[in-house]
Amino acid sequence: MRDGINTARLGIPSVALVTEDFWPQGNFTAESLGMPEVPRVKLPHPLAGTGQSHLKEVAKRLAPQIIEQLKND
Amino acid sequence: MTEMLQASDEAAALEALHDAGMTDGLPVVIPTGERVSRMVLASGQDADMSLGVMGPAGGVATVEKVAVAAVMAGCLPDYLPVVLAAVKAVIADEFDLAQMQSTTHCTAPLIIVNGPGRLTCGPVASGFGALGPGHRANASIGRALRLCMINIGGAKPGESDMALLGHPGKFTYCLAEDEEHSPFAPMHQDLGYAPDDTVVTVIGAEAPHSVIYSGDADDPKDADKLLEVLAIGLANMGTNNAVLTGGGAVVVLNPEHAKILADAGLDRGGILQRLWELTHHPKERLAYFAAGFAERIKGDTYRCFSSPKDILLLMAGGSGLYSMVMPSWCAGAHQNRYVSEMVELDLYCEIPGLDAAQP
Repeated sequence: MRDGINTARLGIPSVALVTEDFWPQGNFTAESLGMPEVPRVKLPHPLAGTGQSHLKEVAKRLAPQIIEQLKND
Repeated sequence: MTEMLQASDEAAALEALHDAGMTDGLPVVIPTGERVSRMVLASGQDADMSLGVMGPAGGVATVEKVAVAAVMAGCLPDYLPVVLAAVKAVIADEFDLAQMQSTTHCTAPLIIVNGPGRLTCGPVASGFGALGPGHRANASIGRALRLCMINIGGAKPGESDMALLGHPGKFTYCLAEDEEHSPFAPMHQDLGYAPDDTVVTVIGAEAPHSVIYSGDADDPKDADKLLEVLAIGLANMGTNNAVLTGGGAVVVLNPEHAKILADAGLDRGGILQRLWELTHHPKERLAYFAAGFAERIKGDTYRCFSSPKDILLLMAGGSGLYSMVMPSWCAGAHQNRYVSEMVELDLYCEIPGLDAAQP
């Protein structure tokens, strides 16, 4: 979330990727850094360590949402 | 009847308790006669009923004295059944409380709560930060036991509690198992209790040591590697478990790590068996660091744990890379056994005066 906000502040279209267990923390961070509406997409949790095939499946499923958010930026 | 101290007001009473060494160093709720009476009343038990003797001072832990500690710690009456069960557990002979309180080692009673009372006597937290600040039941239940150990058991730093440094869990050290999300049977069930029983299991334990492991579902040795690093944490050559041997220890798996092991077809028994096997060390390794302790070892290898069942395993905490292990002291007559105690939930009664309609 912090990375997404920092790049957004540089004027670069940004989407923060946040896993569902850390979604509330992401909202808190966005709020505390003064950019509560920063675009974000929710990923399943856990993601790390779940294997290449699962990562590819998640990427394929969520890529349209990410692209859509970037278009709206 | 417990002796009543006198003070002009609550601020003066707090200073008097600090001066008398009757606190843990933090402010306490003043245990006025009325507050203690209400706590005792909630217990549904006689104030002077003895739970046993707490060492090293040999003070008698009556229901009333435990209620005093519970009030001071900030417990709600709902928490008292868990506090009473935890006190009974540490009083049991096999817990070796007097020796444990007196040792130079850094050990504190870790209270693990299982069963439906986790929710009704609290709730006792089992998720993110369960061993950290912000959870009233966890904070005050563990603190109440510590205040009993200070004021009934007589543990005073540098005088009767000789822990060289201690650890922060000596303020409070209490959590519940996350039974709802665990892929394994609840810990108390594997210890022989019924699922509907509420049970506290208490073990003298070091502070939690983090074990990092980043799983890889594509690695066929994923579960094996996780077990190996957990075993390193449990019984590396800097632990009493590897040097003194024969004691207990605790493994708190986070949900991701629990899933890795469950997906590999392991249940609690299978995990403990592997951890036990992975903590068999070469004698020469012990001889290198602690020659005197190696002399008793016959053969080329030795076991850090006498039995797989000497290791407690539960799931708690948030989901991520870190599980926790708590090595232990391993000394005392019973070598640091854990003790489980049923929580009595049927004896408790409503407290007159707590009804919102009554002033």
